[in-house]
Amino acid sequence: MAEPLFSLNDVSFSYQGSIAGLNGLDLAVARGERTAVIGANGTGKSTLLTLLDALIFPQKGRFTFAGKEITPRVINDAAFQREFRKKVGFVFQNPDIQLFCPTVKEDILFGPLQLGIPVPEINRRLESAVERLRLAPLLERSPHQLSIGEKKKAAIASVLVIEPEVLLLDEPTAGLDPQTVRDIIAVLQEAHVAGRTVIMATHDLHIVEEIADVIHVFGNNRTIIRSGTPEEILADTEFLQKNNLVHIHVHRHLHAHHTHVH
Amino acid sequence: MKDPIRDFIQQAIAPEIFHSGHTPKLSGRTGGVLEKTVLRVVDFLKATVENDALASRTGFLQRTDPRIKCLSVALLLGCALLTKSIVELALLYAACVTLAVFSSISLLFFLERTLLFIPFFSLFIVIPAIFNVITPGESVLSFKAFGAGLTITRQGIDSALIFFMRVLASVSLTILVMLTTRHHVLLRTLRIFKVPRLFIMTMSMCYRYIFLLLDVLHNTFIAIKSRVGYVTSAKTGRRLVAVNMAGMWLRSYQLYGQVYDAMVSRGYTGEPIVLDNFKPHAGDYLLLAASFFTLIGTLWLNRFFR
Repeated sequence: MAEPLFSLNDVSFSYQGSIAGLNGLDLAVARGERTAVIGANGTGKSTLLTLLDALIFPQKGRFTFAGKEITPRVINDAAFQREFRKKVGFVFQNPDIQLFCPTVKEDILFGPLQLGIPVPEINRRLESAVERLRLAPLLERSPHQLSIGEKKKAAIASVLVIEPEVLLLDEPTAGLDPQTVRDIIAVLQEAHVAGRTVIMATHDLHIVEEIADVIHVFGNNRTIIRSGTPEEILADTEFLQKNNLVHIHVHRHLHAHHTHVH
Repeated sequence: MKDPIRDFIQQAIAPEIFHSGHTPKLSGRTGGVLEKTVLRVVDFLKATVENDALASRTGFLQRTDPRIKCLSVALLLGCALLTKSIVELALLYAACVTLAVFSSISLLFFLERTLLFIPFFSLFIVIPAIFNVITPGESVLSFKAFGAGLTITRQGIDSALIFFMRVLASVSLTILVMLTTRHHVLLRTLRIFKVPRLFIMTMSMCYRYIFLLLDVLHNTFIAIKSRVGYVTSAKTGRRLVAVNMAGMWLRSYQLYGQVYDAMVSRGYTGEPIVLDNFKPHAGDYLLLAASFFTLIGTLWLNRFFR
């Protein structure tokens, strides 16, 4: 088997030394793979993505990217950091965190400019990302004037424009209208076709089959409790229910009760 | 996950709000504070949106390169400060009004913004200067007040008028720039004065996140109102305001860490790189030249005719 792009062995991390984030996590993600990370709130999904983006580091265990162990010392090397940031793009859960510039256009340009990409190439990528996500009318707008869906799309564009090898997305479709969800799914599918590795944390199980080859389920012990294909995992309703990922919804159709999984 | 902000607020705020459901003692004053805070936040947001809309119109000054616009205004401000002629100051104000009209700014709106408040109050400040006690000179009108004789002098009226016109012209020039340039662009033009990029970026980000925090503040006060009604006891009201100030500080501190992570994630390493894509046109240089020669003319008039 080829060497995994990301590899985590017995990784643990806690916030302020006491609040558990990850607990003895083992994970391997192959190059070009589409991975969905699901789990109830507070089970460590966002912590995992933050760690994969080398913004935090394991307090125990080993984390490697393309065979190289990632530690604070390694990432502090300017040349390595620049290459790593070019290869790994992270779409944060809260777009307000990601959109810190005065206009959408400046936010989209921020990454490529910091990474030293030549200006003509930046302009080409900007045009492509803007066209793909239909952001042209929003370019000169300030992020605080955007709706949540527009902010999400702008945040995704600000990462897509870097053209990273790996896309990390933290709940990219949470709370969005159906059309925006479709737009984002299309972007993720295109990213997969282009050979990118996509790792996404989500609660939206109805989109997982479309955008993932592998699902990892996080449990309350803040580690992966089960991995499998979307077909295997999503078919096990009892397992999903036990882990707060679905509930049995009962509603009335005229005089009859109808029960199904939500 | 444990939320320190929520816990802090819940522990600090009066139990009547978060736990017991007990209705606090009514008092109009404190309810007014909450109400006014919400309204002021909304007013500020509305004013910003309006200013942004004005700055995005396709008028003469909006099209002008912001660096050249700022330099030209700085030169004209020099004229306003150095000139000793009321006529020249009046011409300067007339030029501001003309520029406002050519920049798609409503005349009434501009006059309202420039004539009220600052110039109006400056008129009050300068009133003592028209009397012989401050400015001796040729008498225009003498009268008795509080048992003492007072005289209004021609020199006093002249200096008061010059002061008023100077304030009017300076305020008008500044408002013109503010109304026709978006805030972040204005900040970027500070680069021509060699202000470090990091400082400019920090200021831009502060401006960006003021809106987010105002939004949080607005929603917090609306949420408080929805639970405790329009009025609460004065004591609870004070505690609410204090706790919200503390809560906002904690939120902004948390936000700072997350935003920094988002910047690092996209390659930021300490020195921001930004694209300055200002493109001056021939017309912009004409404005600069006109401002420059106006200043030279003012200095020349001062030297040879006054």
